[in-house]
Amino acid sequence: MHLRKFGVSILGAILLAISSVTVADETCMSPYMAKIVGQEDYVYVWTLGVEGLGDEQDKLVTIDVNPKSKTYAKVVSVLSVGGRNEAHHSGLSDDRHYLWAGGLDSNKIFIFDVHSNPRKPTLHKVITDFVEKTGGIVGPHTFYALPGRIMVSGLSNNKDNGGRTGLAEYNSKGEFIATHWLPTDGDLRGAKKEGQFADGYGYDVRVQPRRNVMLTSSFTGWSNYMMDFGQMLQDGEAMKRFGNTMVVWDLHTRKPKKVIDVPGAPLEIRCAWGANNNYCFTTTALTSKIWLIYEDDNGEWQGKAVADIGDASKVPLPVDISITADDKGLWVDTFMDGKARYFDITDPFNPVQKFEEQIGSQVNMISQSWDGKRAYFSTSLLGNWDKTGEADEQWVKLYAWDEDKLSLTHKWTIDFYKEKLGRAHQMRFGAYSLYSSKNQNKGKDITLLDK
Amino acid sequence: MKLMKYILIMFVVISFTQKISYADNDIKKEREKIKNERNSLAIGWRDNLGYELPKPGSYDLYNIRISGDGKIIDENGKENTLHNLMDGKITLLSFIYSNCTDTNGCPLATSVFYKIQEKIKKDNKLLSSLKMISLSFDPEYDTPQIMSLYGKDLSYIKANWDFLTTSSLENLDPILKSYDQPVIRKYNEDGSYDGVESHLLRVFLIDDKKLIRNVYNVDFLHPDLLINDIKTLLLSNE
Repeated sequence: MHLRKFGVSILGAILLAISSVTVADETCMSPYMAKIVGQEDYVYVWTLGVEGLGDEQDKLVTIDVNPKSKTYAKVVSVLSVGGRNEAHHSGLSDDRHYLWAGGLDSNKIFIFDVHSNPRKPTLHKVITDFVEKTGGIVGPHTFYALPGRIMVSGLSNNKDNGGRTGLAEYNSKGEFIATHWLPTDGDLRGAKKEGQFADGYGYDVRVQPRRNVMLTSSFTGWSNYMMDFGQMLQDGEAMKRFGNTMVVWDLHTRKPKKVIDVPGAPLEIRCAWGANNNYCFTTTALTSKIWLIYEDDNGEWQGKAVADIGDASKVPLPVDISITADDKGLWVDTFMDGKARYFDITDPFNPVQKFEEQIGSQVNMISQSWDGKRAYFSTSLLGNWDKTGEADEQWVKLYAWDEDKLSLTHKWTIDFYKEKLGRAHQMRFGAYSLYSSKNQNKGKDITLLDK
Repeated sequence: MKLMKYILIMFVVISFTQKISYADNDIKKEREKIKNERNSLAIGWRDNLGYELPKPGSYDLYNIRISGDGKIIDENGKENTLHNLMDGKITLLSFIYSNCTDTNGCPLATSVFYKIQEKIKKDNKLLSSLKMISLSFDPEYDTPQIMSLYGKDLSYIKANWDFLTTSSLENLDPILKSYDQPVIRKYNEDGSYDGVESHLLRVFLIDDKKLIRNVYNVDFLHPDLLINDIKTLLLSNE
């Protein structure tokens, strides 16, 4: 009886007012996040200040990327933060009102308000006690939105500046909640060690909520990522200090369940979007491979190397990756040769490279629109790891991607050195249609949210 | 079974409307594709969560922050505050509106609350410790009378479930802001308010000290998981 009435109540509501509802996003963002449908209006570029260039400070650079705008492909806002912090990654809150951006050296976290005026962000708050609050995590790296919270993955610690680290959980107001240390041989924290390693290193964090799974990857600590790249390559001891693991976590309880061997510094993690695609990809920086992290038929999560990226002996150094919305394609940027490679991952166990093109002398990040037709590239890896001399190009480029023809068409470049901005690193999208406004939504693609 | 029948009818109605409203450009095709995928039933509509839950009390529910307060109006038109209503109880708070049409939106949240009271109706201790609040996003339309009608017959056992609204958007907005609960509203050409366009689905678990201890989205909104968390909070008080 009551079930029937409940059903009628819902049905009545639907018949009263039906609105078209859809969900989309750039393909690498948290599934918890509000989504952009169609054309993004702005790209926010977290940019490293460079000594002797412009104001020398780290800054959030806002680029107008809406082709209908009079200032299309122009920098429309520059917000400097008062120093250099080794600006690196950034991430949006689940409501996309705020952009969190970290400094790997200063350990500061800058929280920008990008909703009050998406064209001109403001600095909302600076977290300056990250190391103290977290009990010693150093190097705030990934900022990943959970409902009402942000999970921050660390790269290092304040005891030995090595790679042992943890995850720091904050609420959406920027207040610390908890630290979750990565499992080590000395303290597995209840996790099962599958292979040789339990190094406790960290880098990226991603989730597959429908499987209650959180994954972390592993890079290297402060003593390496702040060292000169050439010097580090010659330092045998330093080269031993890279992560060789990924950790499978229980997302709900935040407890580590399993440590999987993934040798050679697994970096970015991208999880499939499809409702039955229980897997994620990563690439290993030092061994130049694509790894599949997947749930097997018994419900166990496993890791498997599934493809080579270029010639590993030439150390192409895979950096950022980006999965397409239909889980059929994976972009892989390789820093050393400045190339973007596109893999067909229709069979996730057998990725096949379909395309490659040199984007510049060096390339790091890629951000693609949900429909995959626009791919933005940027250059900087780390202040001390970027190339030097003429090879040290710093820019943001937009390409149009035609998947049928397998072709990238260059649309524009903004030269970050010529504009006296600095080294261009992580790019995030903004759109007016994300926010409720009497004026801003007129004539825009309405953005609907994750419901 | 009848509930499933009505859900199927909802799909038919929504699919029909989508076909009418779409043009043939690529973005809209993309929307259609994504929408079809997302229209699959959320985990909360299914009986089986799909993975094993930990034992209640075997994990931590962290103090996320103090819950927001604000003036509300109950089904009888009586003014009160959220914190007054929460007092001494473990509270589940959901923002909904009666015109919400998304299968995996407000109807899901209301359905999960309904199933929770069903599942714990024989556990007097749990039932008496729990408060459920459904608060409207849309005070212009959702008057106390509408909310009373919306909740009628849903809370039919001894569960403590309130269906609330506010006197105006001005009174509602500070509450939404305090919970970081975004909503996109529709406006007419003359700037006048025209209802809710969309929102993020969020349900808040609030302990007896009015601290937010978990926030659920569509991926985690399942009655078994919420009951597990409520039991965990109760055990932490013992």
